[in-house]
Amino acid sequence: MKMLRAFVHAVWTICKKDLRVWLRQPANVAITVLPALTLLAVSALAGVAVGRSPVALVTLDHGARGQQMAQIMHHADVFRVSDATPAQAQVLYNNLDVVAIVTIPANFTQAVEAHAPAPIEVRINNLNLDFTNDIRRAVPDVITQFYRQEGSASPVNVTLQEQDLRHQDIEIFQYSVMPLLVLLLVVSGLVSSSLSAAGEWETRTIKELLLSPVSSGAIITGKVLTSFVTTLALGMLVLGVGSLLGWVQPAGVSWLPVLLIMGLVALFSAGLGMALGALLQRIQSVSSVAFVIALYLFFLTGGMAVLAFDPQWLQTIATFVPLYYGRHALEMAIFYQSSDQLGRDAAVLAVSALLAVGLGILAMRRGIAEAR
Amino acid sequence: MHTIGYTPRVIWACLKKDLKSALTDPLYTLISIILPLNVLFLMSLLVISGGLAPTAVVMQDSGPLAQQFYAAMEGAHSFVLQQATAGQAEALIQQGKIVAVVTIPADFDARIRQHQKVSVGVKINNLNTDFTNDIRRALPLSITSFYAKAFPSVVTITPQEHDAYSQDLGYIPYLAVPILVIGLMVGGMMQAGTSAAVEWEHETMKELLLSPASRVAILLGKMLAAFLIGLAGAAIVLVVLIAALGIRPVHWGELIGFTLLILALFTAWGTLLGTWLKRRTPLATLAIGLFVPLFFLSGPFGPISYFAPIEQLVARLFPVYYAIVVLQHAFHNFTQNTYGIGINVLILAAYALAGLILATMALRRSVLAH
Repeated sequence: MKMLRAFVHAVWTICKKDLRVWLRQPANVAITVLPALTLLAVSALAGVAVGRSPVALVTLDHGARGQQMAQIMHHADVFRVSDATPAQAQVLYNNLDVVAIVTIPANFTQAVEAHAPAPIEVRINNLNLDFTNDIRRAVPDVITQFYRQEGSASPVNVTLQEQDLRHQDIEIFQYSVMPLLVLLLVVSGLVSSSLSAAGEWETRTIKELLLSPVSSGAIITGKVLTSFVTTLALGMLVLGVGSLLGWVQPAGVSWLPVLLIMGLVALFSAGLGMALGALLQRIQSVSSVAFVIALYLFFLTGGMAVLAFDPQWLQTIATFVPLYYGRHALEMAIFYQSSDQLGRDAAVLAVSALLAVGLGILAMRRGIAEAR
Repeated sequence: MHTIGYTPRVIWACLKKDLKSALTDPLYTLISIILPLNVLFLMSLLVISGGLAPTAVVMQDSGPLAQQFYAAMEGAHSFVLQQATAGQAEALIQQGKIVAVVTIPADFDARIRQHQKVSVGVKINNLNTDFTNDIRRALPLSITSFYAKAFPSVVTITPQEHDAYSQDLGYIPYLAVPILVIGLMVGGMMQAGTSAAVEWEHETMKELLLSPASRVAILLGKMLAAFLIGLAGAAIVLVVLIAALGIRPVHWGELIGFTLLILALFTAWGTLLGTWLKRRTPLATLAIGLFVPLFFLSGPFGPISYFAPIEQLVARLFPVYYAIVVLQHAFHNFTQNTYGIGINVLILAAYALAGLILATMALRRSVLAH
């Protein structure tokens, strides 16, 4: 009992010391949070225009069909349309203000009513495939809407019957909050614990720690605990702010799996960081390597995109990265209030966190033994 | 005369000293050199999907019109298609291996021939609106393409496309350029910043400041050393891009000149950051941690004028944007803004000079606390 009390006291003291060191470096804290927050801001900015490319619309036809087509283009929500004369459109195109010029020809109404070919001219600045394909998809979308307005007289008999796998669409900006939360947890856990461990060697304070009558287990536990607490606190802060702003909506009991998964991801990254710090023992090397590892883990699980769009080999690799399960569980809980495969996700993360902490303990023990 | 000879000697001495210091920490130097290559791999993971939706098509009808519809989907620039049975397709979408299932019904051909309505089933994994909307729009494209080929006299409204460039450039060759710029940024800033910050951490800056050497000369020497190490990283990335990925520049001279200018710019800004922060950890965290946001903020996906005004404003604040513009011209002969290449180069040179001046000022104002 006395030994346990001494162990807890030692852990608490080391934890307090490391927390104070962490708080004395607000620049480090800010910089740890900065990548995820900046990416969030970027997503918010980019979300405004995603999928809606700027085009110049030249309507040369003043007939009913031409005007109808122009109206559909304006209301289709697939472009950002600027009405223009041919000369104005050319200027916009040359100044790179629009991706394409869409021209409804002067004889459009006449041709449509005569069932003669009525091409809509689309001039695209195809230097980028993303924008080019957006336009290639959007113009036929508008044409389909045009024919749909004809009702039963429409010659297009193929209709689409859409069934969505999930009960609601998630806006791209909301969607990006989840991977960024995971990124924040990994960067913070890995960087703070690896620096804390490596710092003891580089500043040679490891000597003082070893000379104290404290077990190496208490030193390691204290360090992992600090990193875990700070990482989880940062994650909860960001999630709380996101929830207040309405970006993420975990409701009721969904908060429990969210907190559990965040805790496991924080523990996993703290353990891994400890191992890295104890192995490299140099702040300079550790700070770079920890960040690069965090980013690899992040991108290997799909980054800010949807993993299902990535090649099969990358999807297969992702299943070996614990963050894949963390991300899945958080998506389910936060967006759909669902516990689909939560048991699998939590189990994989828990085992990975234990392995990472075990690795951290081994590396620290080895480092401590060498320092003795 | 004495001063003229003295300054180059200071520069040379600082350059030699920093190169020797780099050799004493070979692990870190190696990490710095391969950092741009790591950036290339990391960012390639981001763009590897190419925006094409893996989709299963359940062909309940194998008639010629159903086949034509399938062919129209293949040409829609949006899907990676595979044929599957209904059961297989359901399993694939539930496992998250595909994002959509399109079901062409058994009576597709018959109904189309009889001018009757036919409903094509689409099941979408609607994870986020960006990808979901791409699929929702790609299917109408398939329908109009299908009709344009199968019944040109029935559906007469079709898009007639004229492209500015003779062929489309893939995602990876296009995005390789902004990735290269970000690699040069991280490599240059890390090396130069660390070399400056370490002098403060080890308090060796005291000796340097007490010496009669000019501060500009000290900084130039340190920057040159960082530039040379950064050059090794840049060379590795360029070799991978050109030899392994086959992305060949249109203007070789521009590529070499602009790469050197961009590396010099970020070396200057790295020196400024290192002098200002005086610590290696925040510097490394800042340089590595901000490369992903900076990549997105600097207009990597197309001319910045296509984006919202606030995005344009933000992108123009960072030299990364101008660096992307000039290197897109060097690699693909693309015009990404209306300033002209000369003005973009001048802006980059101004940023480089500003970095050097600000670093010198930061060094002048610096004191070493005990």
